[in-house]
Amino acid sequence: MSRDTWLEQLRRGGLDLAILLAVANGPRYGLAIIQHLEAFTDLVVGEGTIYPILGRLTREGLLDATWVEGEAPHPRKYYKLTRAGAKRLREMTLEWRAFADKIDRLMAATTIGAGREPVRGRGEDDRDAD
Amino acid sequence: MTLTETGQSRVNGYLFVLERSLKTFLPMDVVRDAVREIESHVRERIAAADGSPNEREALERILLELGPPLRVAKAYSAERIVDEAIATERFVPMLRAVWHLAVTTAAGFGAALGILIGYLTGLAFLSLALLKPIFPDNVGIWVRDGHESLRTEFPWRLGAQFPIPPDEHVVGGYWVIPICLFLGLLVLVLNHRGTMKFLSWWRYRRVS
Repeated sequence: MSRDTWLEQLRRGGLDLAILLAVANGPRYGLAIIQHLEAFTDLVVGEGTIYPILGRLTREGLLDATWVEGEAPHPRKYYKLTRAGAKRLREMTLEWRAFADKIDRLMAATTIGAGREPVRGRGEDDRDAD
Repeated sequence: MTLTETGQSRVNGYLFVLERSLKTFLPMDVVRDAVREIESHVRERIAAADGSPNEREALERILLELGPPLRVAKAYSAERIVDEAIATERFVPMLRAVWHLAVTTAAGFGAALGILIGYLTGLAFLSLALLKPIFPDNVGIWVRDGHESLRTEFPWRLGAQFPIPPDEHVVGGYWVIPICLFLGLLVLVLNHRGTMKFLSWWRYRRVS
């Protein structure tokens, strides 16, 4: 797998979570979500491809979409988290942190030669004692 | 930035192509909503742009960041059609998803061809089971005259022939029916599962 493919897979894996996080503190319309993601991440490659994902998350019941008129010269479609979306966001956040933590530990354990002692995994001490 | 008539035409052209592309695969209410949302995005970007160095370049930059209308339409339709097929596992949404992938990607075309052959094979077995009671002398395992044993006629030729060839006849009886029913259903179920697996795989690697 090339580095680009791997990065692309990472990006795709994180995009749903990032979009849910973007509306976690309150409703946002499409462009505001994109700008929020662009301010913190480089997950947005094509702006136009974010909208289909917003549509899917809405169909899945994780987001609720409402058109608002009069706020700007053109109508805006606002997205907000549903109760199911908030629950999914909590689960995804926990999963993501747990996953990142495991990878961090693994990376720390493989820093041999970089002047650091490898971090021992669970059970390794017991095996050594035997 | 306020658009001139030329700039407005460019935006309308973009939205027109997007709408035409979406119409091919999506229901009209979904198309209208999607185009309205993309138009809102473009208008928002235009309102925030300062128009430098000139309207044409500023507008092209906005549309480039949004992506070509065909790509946007592809992402919309793929998200919706493939997701619907996987979520419902129903035959019609699945066929629609396969058709969509077949006309938009090379891998989809190859997979659709295999899936079509699979369904036709399954349906052919079921057709034989249905035709056997109606045309008992035309449906079954065919052997040449003088070769009554199936051992000497390998590979076996199961099928229906109209009219009956002069030097061939069918062997076996109505036991062909349950065998054809079993094989037909088995092929259809396996093909259906294979199609769902393909769609799931495609969803995993889709454009996002």
